[in-house]
Amino acid sequence: METESSPLQSLREAAAAQGVHPTDEDLEGVRDFLDRILPALAEIEERLPSESPP
Amino acid sequence: MTLDPYNAFLHRDEQDGDWRVGVKDVIDVVGMPTTAASKILDRVPERDAECVARLRAAGAAIVGKLNTHEFAFGALTNSPHFGPARNPWDLERTTGGSSGGSGAAVAAGLVDLALGTDTAGSVRIPAAFCGVTGHRPTAGLVPTEGVVPTAWSLDAVGTLARTADECRTAVEVMSGRSLEPNGPVRRVGIVARLFEEAVPAVAAACEEACRALPGSPEVVELPLHDEIATITQLVMLPEAAAAHLGWLRTCLADYGPDVRARLLAGLLLPSTAYITGLRARRWVRSRWERELGDFDLLVAPAMPIVAPRLDAIPSDYRLLIMPYNSPAALLGLPVTVVPCGFVDGLPVALALVGPRFADATVLSAAHAFQTRTDWHERRPL
Repeated sequence: METESSPLQSLREAAAAQGVHPTDEDLEGVRDFLDRILPALAEIEERLPSESPP
Repeated sequence: MTLDPYNAFLHRDEQDGDWRVGVKDVIDVVGMPTTAASKILDRVPERDAECVARLRAAGAAIVGKLNTHEFAFGALTNSPHFGPARNPWDLERTTGGSSGGSGAAVAAGLVDLALGTDTAGSVRIPAAFCGVTGHRPTAGLVPTEGVVPTAWSLDAVGTLARTADECRTAVEVMSGRSLEPNGPVRRVGIVARLFEEAVPAVAAACEEACRALPGSPEVVELPLHDEIATITQLVMLPEAAAAHLGWLRTCLADYGPDVRARLLAGLLLPSTAYITGLRARRWVRSRWERELGDFDLLVAPAMPIVAPRLDAIPSDYRLLIMPYNSPAALLGLPVTVVPCGFVDGLPVALALVGPRFADATVLSAAHAFQTRTDWHERRPL
């Protein structure tokens, strides 16, 4: 079952996997940022011409 | 010693000279601590950054290290560890950033030239807010050895001074190249949308200033205008997180809250986001070259607002300014910011943007503008 804290938990685990240990307050800020930028990222991914290499 | 009520300097020598140069405190100067206005970094370099060494060899007297946003990773210059740089036009207002000490020191006449760095606007914002001339060179023109990185593929060492001619001299010395324009400016594009989105009084001052530009300007639209700021973030944030990874692991709590938040955002973006950012940068560059490649200059307000009060920074400050600074940052284009008027006693500036490696054209156009206007000669009381 999804819990309210699961998004923070996944961010915490992703940070820990890289050796970084943020506080919950830090992670809440990251979550808010990601909530804003990820839809814009998805839109860019959709419009990006497929032949564009990095 | 001249007083520094602007908190422009983090370290200052008594040394004086004919060409007094202050250096943003992310750029190494032998014998002077590099702190990046942080609690984390405190090294005393044994050699100058390459750009500083070249200026010193040309006769510059390096008089001190200048305040910056912590690790040059923000647009205000309000390090929690060293306090805010204060705008000489109004001490209760921000200098902008991240090269805010550089803007304040030039505006107040404490130095003849200041070095800054510009990852996503950090020379241009304080130049505009402090009423001085700033130049962000084409990425790669000025060496970045000995400079604390913010985001490797976006970083540029730039200059702030009274005039475009002074900026040109410094960039010539630091790059080792002569910056003589190839010919007259032919096509000038006015980025109308950036005028429309500026506060009306700023837009009006900038529109009036455009009369002093060469040629007959044409209205243009930037390709992918709505996407460029996001794409810049997709490139900048992961690069910054990578540059800071060691410190994120060992001293995360020692960062100020805003810088820590942005670094963590870069760390925790999906891994594909950076690749998408790089691919999208190429997409923007391709569209830009196709649609705007014939233009010698693009012109817009350098900033959409005047310097806000330190105690009343708009909550959407970063969102407001990103469209003005992101395109040249993402594409590595040269930009000269020239003072072009005042609103409520505070400086307003135009940004002149050129194609890659057309620094000579941009600086020459800025010089021509400054032969027809005197905004760059105004001094704060």
